[in-house]
Amino acid sequence: MSRRRRAALIVAALAALAAVTGQIVVTYVPGPPQPLIGTISQSLVGLSFLAAGIAAWLRWPASRLGLLFTIAGYLWLLPNLGHLPYALPFTIGNLVASVYGAALAHLALAWPTGRLRSRFEVGVVAAEYAWTIGQSFVSMFFWNPHTNCGPGCPANLLMIDGSRSAENVLGVISIPVGLALTVTVLALIVRHWQTAQGWTRRAMVPLLWIAPAICALSAVQTVAENTSLRLFAGATAGNILYGYLPLILLAGPALFVASTLLARTARGAVGTAIVDLEPGAPPGQLRDALARALGDSTLQLAFRQPDGPGYADTTGRPVDPARPEPGRIVTPLPGPAGAAPAEAVLVHEEGLEHEPQLIRLTAAAAGLALEHARLQAEVQAQLEQVRASRARIVEAGDEARRRIERDLHDGAQQRLVTLSLALGMARSQVAGSDPGLAALLEGATKEAREAIAELRELARGIHPAVLTETGLAGAVQALVERSPVLTTVGAVPAGRYPAPIEATAYFVVCEALANVAKHAPGATAQVAIRQPAGRIVVEITDDGPGGARPGAGSGLRGLADRVASVGGTLRVESAVGSGTRLQAEIPCP
Amino acid sequence: MSVSAPGAAPLRVVIAEDAVLLREGLSRVLDDAGLDVAGAAGDAEQLLQLVGALRPDVVLADVRMPPTQTTEGLQAARLIRQRWPGTAVVVLSQYVETEQLFDLLADDPRGVGYVLKERVADVTQFTSAIRRVAGGESVIDPEVVARLVARPRADSPLQTLTGRERDVLALMAEGRSNHAIAGQLWMSPKTVETHVGSIFSKLGLAPDAGDHRRVLAVLAFLRE
Repeated sequence: MSRRRRAALIVAALAALAAVTGQIVVTYVPGPPQPLIGTISQSLVGLSFLAAGIAAWLRWPASRLGLLFTIAGYLWLLPNLGHLPYALPFTIGNLVASVYGAALAHLALAWPTGRLRSRFEVGVVAAEYAWTIGQSFVSMFFWNPHTNCGPGCPANLLMIDGSRSAENVLGVISIPVGLALTVTVLALIVRHWQTAQGWTRRAMVPLLWIAPAICALSAVQTVAENTSLRLFAGATAGNILYGYLPLILLAGPALFVASTLLARTARGAVGTAIVDLEPGAPPGQLRDALARALGDSTLQLAFRQPDGPGYADTTGRPVDPARPEPGRIVTPLPGPAGAAPAEAVLVHEEGLEHEPQLIRLTAAAAGLALEHARLQAEVQAQLEQVRASRARIVEAGDEARRRIERDLHDGAQQRLVTLSLALGMARSQVAGSDPGLAALLEGATKEAREAIAELRELARGIHPAVLTETGLAGAVQALVERSPVLTTVGAVPAGRYPAPIEATAYFVVCEALANVAKHAPGATAQVAIRQPAGRIVVEITDDGPGGARPGAGSGLRGLADRVASVGGTLRVESAVGSGTRLQAEIPCP
Repeated sequence: MSVSAPGAAPLRVVIAEDAVLLREGLSRVLDDAGLDVAGAAGDAEQLLQLVGALRPDVVLADVRMPPTQTTEGLQAARLIRQRWPGTAVVVLSQYVETEQLFDLLADDPRGVGYVLKERVADVTQFTSAIRRVAGGESVIDPEVVARLVARPRADSPLQTLTGRERDVLALMAEGRSNHAIAGQLWMSPKTVETHVGSIFSKLGLAPDAGDHRRVLAVLAFLRE
């Protein structure tokens, strides 16, 4: 059990003891009988303030609010001493009868931080305390208890002159002073609300509803107690004035409940804001979402600048975390482990400082969202790099194939042609003279011719020169002419495209027709190449048995990789019994 | 276009081939075969200059030549046919690509030849192809035609042709005249004419008097 909890328990026990004692005194001590409603509202209001005090203390350990609630509770209960049939407690009880009002004013002016905002306000609160005690003190010089409650009442130890006239005069002075103080407090509260920003302004809203009611109660009581007309005399009026109306004071502890609910709602809102954030949303959106959730439009999310020691917020405004503007607090966001100065900070209105849980949650959520975005950006960048390198590898492969094809044609094939020419010349020279040699040369020529033909087909398989020379249309036409598959060619765009795109489209058709020849002999195929805006769609359909699985053969897998290397996609539809449809969609500027 | 009869002045040839050995070999072969090699070029630009200056009867051009080693020879050939209609062109290709072929024939198939490079090994056949092109015929390499004929087809009128008719069709696609077809297939010219008529009606092609128009018609049909 923490020290704080133990202390809270002690205060709670004392409060209970005070309440029970008060109750016993009121019930069993002889004297003028108390109406039931008075007893109920006395205990209820006092205990609820004490309870709010303990709760506030636990919730805001650093703040004085818990203390202020508790003081108000005790000051509310203290006047019960006046019910004791002895002169001293009776005198004290009556002396402090309205000090709780000063405690309430103190609490209201210190809301929501627990601190008074200015020297002036300290003065106002001091005046409240001084006035509530001083006024009682002075008026008791002239108050004869026997005129109110009869001879059974204990003596007023402070009484100097029991004549009613002096008391009445004092009452006439008390009304304007008391009302002036009440109005001042109310005006200050409204001003607090007007000048507050962010979280503080939000926290002021419930007080704005509660304060006028309590001030009105205070005003009514001031007037009632101090008028000579005794407008509010009589048992019923007393019941209303000191039994029913004080129940309004329950609004004080309700203020605490309202502020707790507010923080809880805000925590929920922060969670929802993070969940609703689009993946990869820019930091500006994160800031806006948090600002909305916290109701703090001045919220700033600032990042350490990569090229300097400073920070800048999402709008680019420089932020110095070491010297925040007055009234603002900097909370570093938890970042990746080991980052000594925080990568990002939240700059928020100082009122939020009193909701450390809310701040922690907000910072953690923001940190998580940023970390997520950072990782996502990192992955995206890496993916981009991998994509680019894959495209380069494929392109380099294409280029190498083109070069090999050219070398074969311009080197080996050329030499073989020259060789067969020489063989031909030799043959025509020996034609008549040496039939044996002529036959040998004839054989050699034939070999050379076949070597040329084989080399031609080999080079063509490595990279078709017709693709480089005439483009996709001619190359597809040549493919179809060579293929053993009966193939119809639809419209093929006649234009030229970047080499990797042409090569990819070509290999799609090539592989598809080879697959048809291999897996669906006897089937017919259709090739269509369309060019909708921004892309090329290559489609090969056949009326074979279908059932091709993209993952199965390395052919389709390799083809899909090849298409992906230029940022395209390959779709294979091949239900058993309904042919195969291969569609490659390649982005093309 | 000069049609060289036996005994007349020899055909004047310009050769364009970037490989020196092959170029010189070709020079010798053609020289030995009784052709007059008037000039030899190593690239397309030089070829055009030579043709402009020498106005040869026929040009022998490699498809691939510097600087890009792609289709310079082909482009030069088309240009020559347009600029100097009196000069026939035989293109030597290393590929069997119909795309190139149709590019070349599109303007006018007369006086144009498309021959695979390895044909140079058979000197007699090769020089005869040059002479035919110089004589205004079209010469299409048999392997190119064979590829077109062998294509898989569904419901094509080609399937209604008899074996003999197919042989005739292939030779027509190679640019042979009826007379030559008759000689090659050991038929009478009359029989060839009958086959040709039958082929044209089966394929739904318009009968055309000139041999050169029918080359394109037949090739286009085969390529469809």
